[in-house]
Amino acid sequence: MDIKLPEIGEGVTEGELVKWLVKPGDTVKVDQPIAEVMTDKATVEIPSPQNGKVVALKAEEGKNIQVGGVLLTLEASGAGAAPEKPAPAPQTAKPAPAPQAAKPASQAPAPQAYAGASGTNGQTRPQTEAARFAGASAGDVYPPAASSKVLATPSTRRLAREMNVDINNLKGSGLAGRVTREDVMGAGGGSAASAGGGMDYVPRQAPVMGYTGPTGAVEERVPMRGIRKKVAEKMQLSKQIIPHFTLMDEAEVTELVKVRTSVKEKMAAQGIKVTYLPFVMKALIATAREFPMVNASIDDAAQEIVYKQYFNIGFAADTPQGLVVPVIKNADRKSIAQISREIVELSEKARAGKLAPDDLKGATMTITNIGSVGGTYATPIINHPEVMIFGMYKISERPVFKNGELVAANVMNVTCTADHRLIDGAVAARFLTAVIARLENPGMLMMDLT
Amino acid sequence: MSYDVCVIGAGPGGYVAAIRAGQLGLKTVIIEREYLGGVCLNVGCIPSKAMITAAHFVHRAQHDAPEMGVNIGKIDIDMKKMVDWKQSVCDRMAGGVEQLLKGNKVTIVRGEANFVSKEEIKVTGKEGTQSIRAKNFVIATGSRPIQIPGFEFDEKLIMSSTGALAMDKLPKKVVVIGGGYIGLEIGGYLAHLGTQVTVIEATGELLSGIVDKDAVQVIARKLKKAGVEVFTEAKAKGCKKTKNGVEVAVDIKGKEQVIEADRVLVTVGRKPNSDQLNLKAIGLKISDRGFIEVNSQRRTNIPNIYAIGDIAGQPMLAHKASHEGVLVAEVIGGKNRAYDVKTVPAVIFTDPEIASVGMTEAEARASGHADLKVGKFPFAANGRAVSVMATEGFVKIIADGKTNVVLGVTIVGPEASNMISEAALAIEMGARLEDIALTIHPHPTLGETMMEAAEAALGHAIHIIQRPLGERKESGLRANA
Repeated sequence: MDIKLPEIGEGVTEGELVKWLVKPGDTVKVDQPIAEVMTDKATVEIPSPQNGKVVALKAEEGKNIQVGGVLLTLEASGAGAAPEKPAPAPQTAKPAPAPQAAKPASQAPAPQAYAGASGTNGQTRPQTEAARFAGASAGDVYPPAASSKVLATPSTRRLAREMNVDINNLKGSGLAGRVTREDVMGAGGGSAASAGGGMDYVPRQAPVMGYTGPTGAVEERVPMRGIRKKVAEKMQLSKQIIPHFTLMDEAEVTELVKVRTSVKEKMAAQGIKVTYLPFVMKALIATAREFPMVNASIDDAAQEIVYKQYFNIGFAADTPQGLVVPVIKNADRKSIAQISREIVELSEKARAGKLAPDDLKGATMTITNIGSVGGTYATPIINHPEVMIFGMYKISERPVFKNGELVAANVMNVTCTADHRLIDGAVAARFLTAVIARLENPGMLMMDLT
Repeated sequence: MSYDVCVIGAGPGGYVAAIRAGQLGLKTVIIEREYLGGVCLNVGCIPSKAMITAAHFVHRAQHDAPEMGVNIGKIDIDMKKMVDWKQSVCDRMAGGVEQLLKGNKVTIVRGEANFVSKEEIKVTGKEGTQSIRAKNFVIATGSRPIQIPGFEFDEKLIMSSTGALAMDKLPKKVVVIGGGYIGLEIGGYLAHLGTQVTVIEATGELLSGIVDKDAVQVIARKLKKAGVEVFTEAKAKGCKKTKNGVEVAVDIKGKEQVIEADRVLVTVGRKPNSDQLNLKAIGLKISDRGFIEVNSQRRTNIPNIYAIGDIAGQPMLAHKASHEGVLVAEVIGGKNRAYDVKTVPAVIFTDPEIASVGMTEAEARASGHADLKVGKFPFAANGRAVSVMATEGFVKIIADGKTNVVLGVTIVGPEASNMISEAALAIEMGARLEDIALTIHPHPTLGETMMEAAEAALGHAIHIIQRPLGERKESGLRANA
């Protein structure tokens, strides 16, 4: 039987197969991880839905797989677990394509996900009868059936379906507006090669340099995959869309250092590691209430500004695989202690590559804490579709003039990088100044606590 | 037993689904309560075509042969033998279906199925009741003739198509209630065999709403010639059994009349068998008209249950069911498939035959094609048609006036059923009039009429007289024959 990629997170339609954890001939047990699949920025282990022997791997490492796409074929062992408990499988193995039919992509694989599904797995959720029917009603097949107006041969229509291209949206280049095979291939992009039927599409490749050093090859080619690929895509997208600018300043945080030092050990006794990050989060949130444009996003498609009434703060975390940005949800409603605990938990999960897709979603603002590694200032890249990323850097003891006297003080460099489409320079400057005011006076920070 | 796929009903939808599922390596079982091949192979398409062929043969021997110089003399019809021969045709086809199913490792279970749950059915057959579990079900249990009050089928005096096809004695007089395609096919061949046929049609015309009006005229004319009496706007009120047969009370355009007959054939349509199988109890959604509601993958509201063929909606045609059978088997096999054909051809085996595909003129206008090109070419101008003595009828082709893309074709005439596939391909391919006109059609064949009709729509058919090309204005490029 075919084992398919189950639903691995809300709205997740595909994942990249990072690594196989089994090989043909292996015997697997129910819930034994069979593959590592990367979605968004989290790596998920896909459990086997049943006992059996791996017959063949149907996907390649480094390639994307649609939810519902076949991962491998399994020969069920013995009478198998599936026939014993088939009841819940058919209903629950199908992802819940929420009633809003406006996300064709997320619904596309649903029928397949369902089709041959033969066992339960931990990721699936029971659905209500109504939700299930919404999924099965006439609108849910993606791509939708070709309308009678579309001019395309039956084989071209079939090609479009197999390439997941909605032929209704294509402008035919042929006679009388006929949609040709080439039109479909063009719309389907590089995946055309898998569609079969001749005419494989091969994207142009960079020329391979023939240079060889005195000791042999001096280059190593490694495929872009996993988190590296996701980071690359995300950063490029953000830089392409957003006109960035960065404002730099410093905050004299002597008082904040005192506060933190005073609680550090007591909290450590309770198993809570208190860093400066939650304080900065609190300062950021309190200030953002006065500057709603920093806790917002731009809906590029709708050309609308989305002001957010909730505060989910992402924080950049360095992991062996690369950058990830876990999110503290509703940070405005959590205590500093609570946030501290969550930061530690999420960081550990991030380093172990065990973050759930949900841990990485829904940030409204992001903080980068690169200062803990090094550098005085940076110009970070905004986490699109957010419009602001706040940078905090190393706290160091520096000479500062106070009332005409030179004193030693703790100083932290801070930056505010903003989307100039929404946030003007003066606004960013006023915002940064207001954040600094709170960081410099923890008493003010306490006034804002809810 | 537990299966990947359980198909219920072994008609042209079900057996095709089962074979394709078998080909895809899915563990498949098919349940059939009556006969493999369903209505189509046993009491529908195939036996009726056998009887029509025999009757047509008789008719031609009587009317065309003498004109060709072939004097056959008195024709003796052995009705018993004809029906036996018809049965042998059906048995042969049903046997073929059984072999194909077995050859594709499909398990055949005979009996009546009822759903116990969404994953289990109980099948009651001769050997008792057994439980069958499957991950996916395909409901392909079809339809049955509609019965009207006062005309309950006994298949002796009051017959459905099933009883009519089984008659081993030719009745003298038959009243056919319903002038749709089944009534006209059976009524037509009975008339050819020598029965006096009266057709009672409730609407204003025969084949109401399903066929181009010009084509209906050809059929009506030919029926009249064959001695068939047709009453339109006529309603059958009831019937009384008499010593000699039946008396049918009919309201014809407001006037009550009594028609005597040996037998009554009721062909007022078919209804889906959605009241069976215990479908409602498992929560399957069924429309007001009795069709199981399905999406474009023929999936019902219960995701592991599919429905195809007559029970899943109009048109109730075997070839639509077969297409859907392949489709659902492939969907279950994990392929992305949807029902996205442009058109389903329809064929009617009247004399002459009618075949149509795509839109009629009226439908094309209704769907927003204001400017149409219509070409019509008569069989009387085709050499082959004249040489087979079958000159009634025409090919009519409808295309978009701006793009010349073919929108619909109606053929009424000899071998119309065999000729329509070219038109179906043209429409599926998005062909233009020129594509058909510029394709060399072999001479002398009936198929040339398609090419000529396309030429006629473009304004310059060779074998009919149209105004010279030079005299045409742009808007005149239409042969409104």
